[in-house]
Amino acid sequence: MGGEHKNDVQSAWFNRDSNDGASLQYDACITQSNKPSEPPHKMSQSLRPYLQCVRSSLIAALSLSNFASQTSERHNVPEIEAASSPEVLLNPLTVSRNENERVFIEPSINSVRVSIKIKQADEIEHILVHKFTRFLTQRAEAFFILRRKPVKGYDISFLITNFHTEEMLKHKLVDFIIQFMEEVDKEISEMKLFLNARARFIAESFLTPFD
Amino acid sequence: MSLVNYRTINIDLLDPESSANFDLSTLTPSVQPVSTSDVQTLAGQIPQLLRGGDTEGALRGALENAPYGADEKGKETHLTTVTEILQSIRQADMSPLLQRIYRSPNGPETLDVLMKYLYKGMASSSSSSHSTSTTNSTNKQITPQATSGFSQIHARNVGGDGGGQAMSVLLSWHEKVVEIAGAGSISRVMADRRTV
Amino acid sequence: MPSSEVHHLFHHPIADHSFSADRQTLAVARDNNVELYARSGGKFALQDELRGHDKTVTGVDIAPRSGRIVTCSQDRNAYVWEPSPSGWKPTLVLLRINRAATSVRWSPSEAKFAVGSGARVIAVCYFEEENNWWVSKHLKKPIRSTVTSVSWHPNSVLLAAGSTDGHARVFSSFIKGVDPRPEPSTWGERLPFNTVCGEYLNGTAGWVHGCAFSPRGDALAFTAHDSSITVVYPGGPDQPPKAVVSVGTQVLPLVSLVWTSESEIVAAGYDCEAFKFRGDEQGWELTGSVESKGRPGLTDQREESALNMFRQMDLKGKVKDDTQLNTVHQNTISTVRSYAENGGSVSKFTTSGVDGRVVVWSL
Repeated sequence: MGGEHKNDVQSAWFNRDSNDGASLQYDACITQSNKPSEPPHKMSQSLRPYLQCVRSSLIAALSLSNFASQTSERHNVPEIEAASSPEVLLNPLTVSRNENERVFIEPSINSVRVSIKIKQADEIEHILVHKFTRFLTQRAEAFFILRRKPVKGYDISFLITNFHTEEMLKHKLVDFIIQFMEEVDKEISEMKLFLNARARFIAESFLTPFD
Repeated sequence: MSLVNYRTINIDLLDPESSANFDLSTLTPSVQPVSTSDVQTLAGQIPQLLRGGDTEGALRGALENAPYGADEKGKETHLTTVTEILQSIRQADMSPLLQRIYRSPNGPETLDVLMKYLYKGMASSSSSSHSTSTTNSTNKQITPQATSGFSQIHARNVGGDGGGQAMSVLLSWHEKVVEIAGAGSISRVMADRRTV
Repeated sequence: MPSSEVHHLFHHPIADHSFSADRQTLAVARDNNVELYARSGGKFALQDELRGHDKTVTGVDIAPRSGRIVTCSQDRNAYVWEPSPSGWKPTLVLLRINRAATSVRWSPSEAKFAVGSGARVIAVCYFEEENNWWVSKHLKKPIRSTVTSVSWHPNSVLLAAGSTDGHARVFSSFIKGVDPRPEPSTWGERLPFNTVCGEYLNGTAGWVHGCAFSPRGDALAFTAHDSSITVVYPGGPDQPPKAVVSVGTQVLPLVSLVWTSESEIVAAGYDCEAFKFRGDEQGWELTGSVESKGRPGLTDQREESALNMFRQMDLKGKVKDDTQLNTVHQNTISTVRSYAENGGSVSKFTTSGVDGRVVVWSL
């Protein structure tokens, strides 16, 4: 009995390193503020299969090789961007959780473009996402795999080439993108709460009647 | 004449020998054209199987007769058929059903086709609803937000949960198929020139 | 009992590797150069460097009997390196291609070698005595995209090539005055240069990565980017093939393969481990991984103590240290080659990969 109990505790600890902890919190918070009608557990349940699907799709798509250009002599370019040889591009994959959240994966022989549409439930979130992704893309050189401009219809894009998968561990690259997707939701909602609190404070002090 | 901006012409496309002119349709010699009416006939037969309770037969029938050669409309019709079947199968029945299909002859190929439909389902719903959501968001920006400028109350008023329910069915199917057919089935969806 | 001998040479991708016939010298392609390693004890030590290419080297092959080394690179050139008193002496090969060279292999006779390229041609190169240089003839039709790999038939005339246009093809590379007249085989009887003896479209038209003839040369196997491996048994000249067996695997795409006997294949690729396949004309199946999981050394060092757990959380903010894969190779395997043979079947093979490791495996 005692041994079993100990195991339970340990496994609970081990589960904490995975995605669920943080996002669960966030989802609960959003569902409470936005859609009181929906039970909170439903949202967090659907996040896990979504991220799992993105993960397995990325693992399959990141099978890249060093491939020199067929069109320009002595060049080695990301084929997904150049798009000069149709046969080295693969069918793109879309993973979507709902119409506001989806990931678009465009694979090719030596590069993969991953675009993410971040959830934007209202105008504040829309503005925050815009500012946040702008902040990141302006510093793209520090992020290695970040693309300077997102693909049309998406908020942020990554470009992963065979040189990245050679230098970095593939499963860590996948982890990074998954983690980014988790964190960005949390980040935006935190910023929104902060913004609202601040706006309320300002409004209150502004509208305080003179004594 | 002089209005043509020569700098914007992609000269690679004008050279028949260029690799930019690779004809992808030559890679799918076995695909025969399928008329939309054939797809519709099939779409009519499948619900009969479903009503009879033969979900496995319905799923198999739909996947083995995937209309690779149909036009966009025919493919769209068949996607609806497959999605309906998938939605009618209970969560607990998914894994045993997939196991049975995988072990049968040509089973792995059938699951590869299923994988194609899962991705297509996720792609098509987002593209169709994408158009509505963009019009909606432009509306939002144009109309002056009189009082509800910074409100959180009327968020996500677009079509219920924005297709989240249908997506979560596809996502759980995806997870189950990956468990059985492995990452290989995803690479086949990407590599296969026969699209659904 | 499978065992492995791991040589971690550096932290750079190894595009291709080749052992000398006595297995004492190892040539690996590293960036723009080829490095030669000599065995000393249980280790390989850097001995020499072949400098000359100015783009990524994509292929290297040591001829077993003459000891000549041929290299090719994305700079469109190939060199033949011969030992001389003052070191290795390169000779430029007249490839006449205008795109990257992708792979190179000596024919078993060592009189020729084939260079696959992104220019949609295969250059078959041979030595011209009167001019004292290596010249080439082009296999051109019907290749429509980059050639990813080339592989020779034991008779040194037939050549298999995989391409990104989804086809594996078998060509005749017969060159008058260089090759003796080949015996008629199941691939064909009269074989003038550039005869297409077989053209096989992969089921999904995914790029063909690796190809190889069976030890006797009567079957062709190729791996493709749709994670499949296909084995073709030809039915004789101008006949449809007797059998085409394709296995769609559950693993990530396989890049390179080697026949270990007439009924067994070892293939490896993006899953960072090698897999065994067994079968015949009736069918093929994946029989398992070459690596035995749960190798000692990897699991032992990571005991799940509370101290270790909290230390990990403190250092990395997470409980498990998952920076290491539980395979020997830590990144994609790009080349699989035979290392030792025993009575007609391969008993040891080597793999090299993007992680800079060369591993010798015993079957």
